[in-house]
Amino acid sequence: MNQESEGLGIGGGVSTLTDIDAALHELLDRPWICIVWDDPVNLMSYVVFVFQKLFGFSKERANELMLQIHNEGRAVVANGSREEMERIVQQLHEHGLWATLQRDDKI
Amino acid sequence: MSNFEKTGDAFSLDLTLDEAHILINLVEQLLELLGEGDFFHHYDTTDPFAQLMSMQHEVVAPEDPVLMRLLPNAYSDPEAAGDFRRYTESTIRSAKQRALREVRAHLAILVDEEKAGTVDDLEADTWLLALNDLRLALSVRLEINEDSFQLFESLPDEDPQKPLFAVYYWLGWLQQNLLALL
Repeated sequence: MNQESEGLGIGGGVSTLTDIDAALHELLDRPWICIVWDDPVNLMSYVVFVFQKLFGFSKERANELMLQIHNEGRAVVANGSREEMERIVQQLHEHGLWATLQRDDKI
Repeated sequence: MSNFEKTGDAFSLDLTLDEAHILINLVEQLLELLGEGDFFHHYDTTDPFAQLMSMQHEVVAPEDPVLMRLLPNAYSDPEAAGDFRRYTESTIRSAKQRALREVRAHLAILVDEEKAGTVDDLEADTWLLALNDLRLALSVRLEINEDSFQLFESLPDEDPQKPLFAVYYWLGWLQQNLLALL
């Protein structure tokens, strides 16, 4: 099987529709994101520490997210229900990170 | 210079008496700014740090930029931000106050005995949180940005801002050292 027949064939089409359906459910069920913004005060190593502590991320994953915030000015650090994201923003604020939540506008 | 140390699982911090005074003054000013002023103050209101934190004002305006940095809006929409604040702000404040109170209790032992010494068995997470909030608070007053360190280095020694910047960078150095021990 090559990639073309999988993507364009009838079998592939059905599975794609199922995927879209699942993805839509995912978006409707989990339409909120938590964003952490870059600031000139929080130490890079402190941000990594907070991500490891709150999210249980590996040092590598926490470092990657921290660098994304540093280089791009912001990063999505979590997604889920509004209540879940509010709880995470609250914990991030307790730790002094500049975090906000919003509806995921990728839909 | 004083530094954190780790022995086994226990963290400690050696401080000179001057350093303990500077730290406890900042901690008490920030506690008061966060709405908790009911304790004996080690600082005097003519102290430059007290003036820096503007602690001479009993009533803290909610639009105080330091408080806005420590308790930022969670939403860009003002109504949603206001609701979030109503439900969560006291919990966030309490977490910050708890860390600052614990740090203050450790420091008060040194300051009340008027001697340099070691803070033993300190909780690293608590100290990281408190040091971070002190840095955030000072950063607002000092308008810290990416170029501030260069500004600090170029300030003449007699500039009244210079010791304040020095304390800000010292706190960052302390925090960095504690993080490196984790």
